[in-house]
Amino acid sequence: MSTSRRQLIHGLGAVALARLLHGGQPHFAPKAKRVIQIFCPGGVSHLDTFDYKPELEKRSGQPMPGGEKEVSFQGANGNLMRSPWKFVQRGQSGKWVTEKLPHLGALVDRMAFVHSMTSRSNTHGPACVAMNTGFVFEGFPSAGAWTSYALGSMNDNLPAYVAIPDVRGIPPSGPANWTSGFLPAQHQGISFNASEPIRNLERPATIGEQTDKDTRGFAQLLNQRHAARHPGDSELQARIATYELAARMQLSAPEVSNLAAESKATHELYGTGSANTLLAAYARNCLLARRLVERGVRYVQLYCASRASGVDGLLNWDAHKTLQADYERHFPILDQPTAALIKDLDARGLLADTLVLWTTEFGRMPTHQEGTLGRDHNPDAYTVWMLGAGVRGGSAHGATDDFGRRAVSDVSTVHDYWATVLHLLGLDHEKLTWYHNGINRRLTDVHGHVLRSLLA
Amino acid sequence: MFRAGLLCVVSLTAAAGPEILQKRCLSCHNPQAKMGGLSLASRADAARVLAGPMAARVSAGQMPPGGGLAPEEKQQLLAWLEKGAPWEGSLAAPSRPRAGRDWWSLQPLRPQSGSIDSFIEASLQSKGLALSPPASKRTLIRRVYFDLTGLPPSPADVDAFLADNSPAAYERLVDKLLASPHYGERWGRHWMDVIRFGESHGYEQNHVRPTAWRFRDYLIRSFNNDVPYNRLILEHLAGDQLAPGNPDIEIGTAFLVAGPHDTVGNQAEAFKRQQRADDLDDIVNATASAFLGLTVNCAKCHDHKFDPILQKDYYRLASVFAGVHHAERVIAPPAQLAAFRAATAPLEARIKSINQSLDALRKQAAPALPAAEKRVRAARREPVSPFGTEENFAPTSARFLRLHMPANAPGGLDEIQVWTPDGRNVALGARVEASSTRVADGNPDAYHARFLTDGAFDKRWFAAPGSAPVTVTLEWAQPATVARVSWSTDRLKAFQGRFQQPTLARYQLSLSTDGKSWTPVASDEGRLPDRAGEQERLFVLEALGPAAAAEFTAAETELAAAVAALAKVEKPPRAYAGEFRQPTEPVYLHKGGNVMQRGDPVEPASLSALPGFSLPLDSPEAERRLALAKWIASDTNPLTPRVMANRLWHYHFGAGLVATPSDFGFNGERPSHPELLDYLAQRLIHYRWRLKPLHREILLSRTYRQSSAWNDAAGKADASARLLWRFPPQRLQAEAIRDNMLAVAGVLDPTIGGPSFSLYKYTVDNVATYFPLDTFGPETYRRAVYAQSARSIRTELLSVHDCPDSSLPEPRRVVTTSPLQALSLLNNSFTTDMATAFAKRIAAHPDPVRHAFLLAFGRPPEPAEAAAAATLVQSHGLPALARAILNTNEFVYVH
Repeated sequence: MSTSRRQLIHGLGAVALARLLHGGQPHFAPKAKRVIQIFCPGGVSHLDTFDYKPELEKRSGQPMPGGEKEVSFQGANGNLMRSPWKFVQRGQSGKWVTEKLPHLGALVDRMAFVHSMTSRSNTHGPACVAMNTGFVFEGFPSAGAWTSYALGSMNDNLPAYVAIPDVRGIPPSGPANWTSGFLPAQHQGISFNASEPIRNLERPATIGEQTDKDTRGFAQLLNQRHAARHPGDSELQARIATYELAARMQLSAPEVSNLAAESKATHELYGTGSANTLLAAYARNCLLARRLVERGVRYVQLYCASRASGVDGLLNWDAHKTLQADYERHFPILDQPTAALIKDLDARGLLADTLVLWTTEFGRMPTHQEGTLGRDHNPDAYTVWMLGAGVRGGSAHGATDDFGRRAVSDVSTVHDYWATVLHLLGLDHEKLTWYHNGINRRLTDVHGHVLRSLLA
Repeated sequence: MFRAGLLCVVSLTAAAGPEILQKRCLSCHNPQAKMGGLSLASRADAARVLAGPMAARVSAGQMPPGGGLAPEEKQQLLAWLEKGAPWEGSLAAPSRPRAGRDWWSLQPLRPQSGSIDSFIEASLQSKGLALSPPASKRTLIRRVYFDLTGLPPSPADVDAFLADNSPAAYERLVDKLLASPHYGERWGRHWMDVIRFGESHGYEQNHVRPTAWRFRDYLIRSFNNDVPYNRLILEHLAGDQLAPGNPDIEIGTAFLVAGPHDTVGNQAEAFKRQQRADDLDDIVNATASAFLGLTVNCAKCHDHKFDPILQKDYYRLASVFAGVHHAERVIAPPAQLAAFRAATAPLEARIKSINQSLDALRKQAAPALPAAEKRVRAARREPVSPFGTEENFAPTSARFLRLHMPANAPGGLDEIQVWTPDGRNVALGARVEASSTRVADGNPDAYHARFLTDGAFDKRWFAAPGSAPVTVTLEWAQPATVARVSWSTDRLKAFQGRFQQPTLARYQLSLSTDGKSWTPVASDEGRLPDRAGEQERLFVLEALGPAAAAEFTAAETELAAAVAALAKVEKPPRAYAGEFRQPTEPVYLHKGGNVMQRGDPVEPASLSALPGFSLPLDSPEAERRLALAKWIASDTNPLTPRVMANRLWHYHFGAGLVATPSDFGFNGERPSHPELLDYLAQRLIHYRWRLKPLHREILLSRTYRQSSAWNDAAGKADASARLLWRFPPQRLQAEAIRDNMLAVAGVLDPTIGGPSFSLYKYTVDNVATYFPLDTFGPETYRRAVYAQSARSIRTELLSVHDCPDSSLPEPRRVVTTSPLQALSLLNNSFTTDMATAFAKRIAAHPDPVRHAFLLAFGRPPEPAEAAAAATLVQSHGLPALARAILNTNEFVYVH
């Protein structure tokens, strides 16, 4: 379908609404129908998680060859600094992973890594937004919004696209990470989590149930009469339908958020009862994510950590000064609940058509930041992974140099990553477009190649 | 078998080369467009690049622009080149591949004779269609009220219009509304969409720009005063030059910096340059799209793929704006500036002279300083240290420790330890209560006081910034004899050096056994200050001796008084209108858009597709902006009047004659009525660029006044009424929905202008966070145009109804229909408040139901509606009726 035709249809409310409900068509047979995108704000160090660099361990404390006193985002860098933790080999593939992520480490054979990611920004806000929208500038639609626009919803009582912010707060650049940008507003990610319900969902406390029902009944009576006076205006019928949809959402959303309906074993698997309150809160969000995709939500964005605080690395993965303390706080929060989510999806057969993505902003420097025991931002190298429907487990694409300073082989970008994700959803990233201010815009800008080595 | 296979591969590769050229290169490198002087349509055309340059540029990923070829295509093309580029025949240029200099919108306006209606009727007739009959007066008054003011007519307005049977009634109504101050609020808001006006910086920190509203007021004022559009353009680009000292005009340059700006500092060179390039990109894009309807920003990395805009053109405009910087600046009349200087100059002179006296005394003290320093150090205790400070005292039995600190105590603490004489820390795991704790939004835990006794030094407690005196109390399980207390701010020395956190310097420690009666055991008394400056001061006082020291402290007191007096002088107003500095170097073309790959310097100049100007590389900053402004605002620039006339049409009818109002290029839509567009553009110039007469002409046309009623036959031929066989019905814009609720409820505060009100709670902890409000006070009962518009922030009712995010220009709002709109109109407390107010308003009326319909719909209820309403009211009261009405289609649609 041509862009202008598609946009024309969006102008016609009724058809647009039908599309929102019943979904569009993929370009070819998809492997995945739905997506859970985990996002760790702050810039997770690839060098302390999934990108093992024996040479960095060996030369720790020495100046980085060719990169002495390099100036990065916050300033000058010191010498090479090894990871404070050991790397261990996990799974049949023998993938080297930090010892501090034991639960996720057990799943490496299912993961497909991209070790050669690069970012266009070395700053949190733009880099977050770039990972999620393909552009460093705000105002462009996020991957979830593109997916909702392309494929529509798989349910008629919940949003198509949900963003689950962390209990610690929203990520850098906040709602710009789940915005619909210039796409129609119904593709906006609806943000809520296990502790904060969807806003405006509940009938105001001062209004009784029968009053609410009769009020809506009267409004619909006026609407029907009004529509009868204006035949031919399909938007009017579409708006009438949204009130019915809203009513359905009011019934379904509390049900999906009712985690008490889950078994004790499930709660234990995720760790919702952990004494670590941040772990428990993220675990509840993971459980919520599973319940959402189970009920036909197309795309879930799930945050583990939040924005940059006045103290670097406190609220997110931005370990500028105290890497060890920061990550010993963040690792356990991420590890068990995320692994539980993957195992649970698998056990319920959902992984057969669900894609799980693990993403972040950028990587970190192999050197320590001068005068500190932390690492500065590194947009030239970072690691992400994906697993699930259509993904070749145990694979890896691209590599960094001996120290992990730069991606050097099969250098990749967010556009390649999203081209691959869209491909798995049955979408050609060059054909998924929306005209805006002179250009047929894409999630992948004018770039992007499908990373075929990651495909099963 | 083998041979055949090999041949097959070779011939495949041979075919692949031209195929790739056709697919990837011909749209620019065809015999007509000949971008870069190169055609690749045949072997002969391409000869000069086949031998080497093509392989080099393709393998480097430089061609095609924007990332090069896909790996497999690249491989095939290179293999084909290596084989000597076997190629027969020639490639056909794609039909109409792109716009050239002969593109319609670049041609001079063509004189037209006729009227709005005659052009519309001519195109309708050619399709066998005709205008619809006139709309009813009730429909028309509601339409034109919302269109011109964004507000509904009152029942009295409707009655008066219905009662006025003179043929000029409608004309008078139009004139009244064009003269209404609400006109500027409505049409100023449209313009803010076009020019990406927002009241925060955007990007990661996204702090509010507290003075940005002054520009919003300027826009509203300018639309109300019908400032000629060509004058408005000059003011937007160079108001500071047109009328220096006139704040009402100088403020116009806020247009330049109305877009996003990254305030996060960056030490890495490439990213520093990128941030600056992004600022200029925003300004170039805003200027070219708003005034010219061109997507010049598409030519940042390469020549425009579709329009005759060279990459060099992009940098010509960037060069025009090379001296523009994001900043607030003082914008005040000369008299006010003079008064300010008159008030501050004597104080500044006084401060200077006191400082000179203090310096003289310091000089006088210098010889005795080393000895004095020794004496002071000997007499005083060690200063506190962020890495650890301790107080020892006589062994005392206690179960509580209390730490008092004065207001605004700096820094945080990572741990407090209380030691027994034998070295046991009884405070480990102690219960802690702090009278103040800094809160990070969403994470009250971030700076929790329990970190003080958790045995770890990585997490810190902080008092809330700007707090009153603070008390921290520790309570441990068993009474114990203690003799030492220690604490630190940065025990791990993680912040040593550049990031040094100030530590606690002023304190009192008390102990207690019962938490009621307290024994002071230590304080900062007698410590050497921890700041070098304060230490130095003590040494100087000691070296001076009593008499001169008294003189020194007296001077200090005077200085403090003068500084305080200076701070009290009222400062002249500032506005976020940008700063201008003469560039120290030229703007360079960035090869491939890469800021680290400089090409040639580019002079400030207009676009090459039209006749224009070019200035020397080092021309004065202001001259550049003025020259561009004059070029854009010229009567002979074919784009400027076409683009603006089309915007007017777009907002009146819901769709422009050119349906892409900021893109008059190849990718944009073609005009539905080209003659009418040129006619309107010329009328705009004829009216000396004033908008109101053009509005008037449009509004008085039969095309505008016709009914919106559906008609099956016409609908079949033209479903979207692109040819305007009916007036296209429109859903109200987000702002008008909210304003309509306030107006109908009778609580709208009609105050015009002034600082913005907020629809969110704003907090800053390094980055800004915006929490949507749950309750709305009367300070939010102003028109939505006065709601602070922070970038990327959703403001519920407005955002769900398609109010755009100001991160990007939005010349054409999408109109969507979604269940979230229903939820926010049904359940947000704003609706309940408005329903309550609306109910109260109609309750005072003898026939509340009838009055409700008149207020909300501009018509009385039909009998069946009145009956159903009465039933509802009987069971659930007037607020239920009010809430229902605010949720109806009729309330949010205009016909």
